[in-house]
Amino acid sequence: MPLKMFQAKERQPEQSHPGKIAHILAVAAGKGGVGKSTVTVNLALALKQAGYSVGIMDTDIYGPSIRKMLPEDEMPVQKGEKLSPAICRGIRVISMAYFRKENEASAVRAPIANGVIAQFIHKVDWGYLDFLLVDFPPGTGDVQLTLSQQAGLCGAIMVTTPQEVAVLDVRKAVHLFDIVNIPIIGIVENMSYYENKGEKIYLFGKGGGERLAHEIGTPLLGHIPIDPKISACGDAGLPLFTDGEPLSPAALAFTELAEAVVAHTTALKRLSTECLPSFELTWKEMS
Amino acid sequence: MKNPPVLIKSIKQKDNHVFTVDWSDNISKEYRLSSLQKNCPCAKCYDPTSGKQLTSGADLDVNVRAAQIKSVGRYALKIQFSSGCSRGIYSYAMLRSLESS
Repeated sequence: MPLKMFQAKERQPEQSHPGKIAHILAVAAGKGGVGKSTVTVNLALALKQAGYSVGIMDTDIYGPSIRKMLPEDEMPVQKGEKLSPAICRGIRVISMAYFRKENEASAVRAPIANGVIAQFIHKVDWGYLDFLLVDFPPGTGDVQLTLSQQAGLCGAIMVTTPQEVAVLDVRKAVHLFDIVNIPIIGIVENMSYYENKGEKIYLFGKGGGERLAHEIGTPLLGHIPIDPKISACGDAGLPLFTDGEPLSPAALAFTELAEAVVAHTTALKRLSTECLPSFELTWKEMS
Repeated sequence: MKNPPVLIKSIKQKDNHVFTVDWSDNISKEYRLSSLQKNCPCAKCYDPTSGKQLTSGADLDVNVRAAQIKSVGRYALKIQFSSGCSRGIYSYAMLRSLESS
């Protein structure tokens, strides 16, 4: 049974959870179908497995899919003005899916969608989190701008597939983050290859993620292989790490991705304090 | 857990041909411009398939200087040399793997 939505009463403050969430990271692509939600769910599970407290904000109002892949153990609860997120295998999750029946469309115009996103940002009581992953909807429109400006993002993880047509749209999303001055933590190349008897077959071409990472000057955080277990676990709402095979190439890829995300997010924090975020050294004639 | 990536704390010109980098893991290294140009990683100078450097050392000026060194994102730097190829993007990982000049 979907939950009832309440009208927000007052104007939202700019930042509503300072200090309570250590890292708020966007998972974005600018394009649909590259596997943002799949990457978000499995990255969250890998981070959780590594001992971090994790939350997911599914901001795809029109096509939320996180709930299907990560079914709730506890539904969200309204507590006065605040909403407690759902609990799914120890991960705190908020999604439009809790407020609609599974096959019911969210036929709302952009200002309403924006209002829902603002409530997700400001009215959810996340408690303390090491990582809040914000699963971005495809595109570079109104909702994406609202999130970029209000969600307190400390960085963005860009998901792409290897082919040029996907990379093209990811570049646009990168440009959006440039405009709003949100650093790109790195690129995840999803559906990189299919492994058959030890041989890697590059179904969608090779090197798209590397080229994009090189072009925009960010690390390539990982390659996620095409593995039927990923979609099977996603469709069944089972985690890849326990109900799949913990040592499968896909599970290992997500574990390594989580390590890279932690390393680069930590580095990004350090960067803002003690290292040079950018530099330009002009050479001088010295005697 | 992988080690966090090393970043640049400071970068300074030492003399006309050498610059120094202080890395975030408290290691300092000196880099000679001509050595870097000799190892230029651009597609014209380096073949990643064979792993071979395509430029001949004889074509390079051992006293090459720079006009400017600029960061590329959070992972690399680019050098505008006074002569020869300036297309290479020198990743921090590559710079760390090179011996100090």
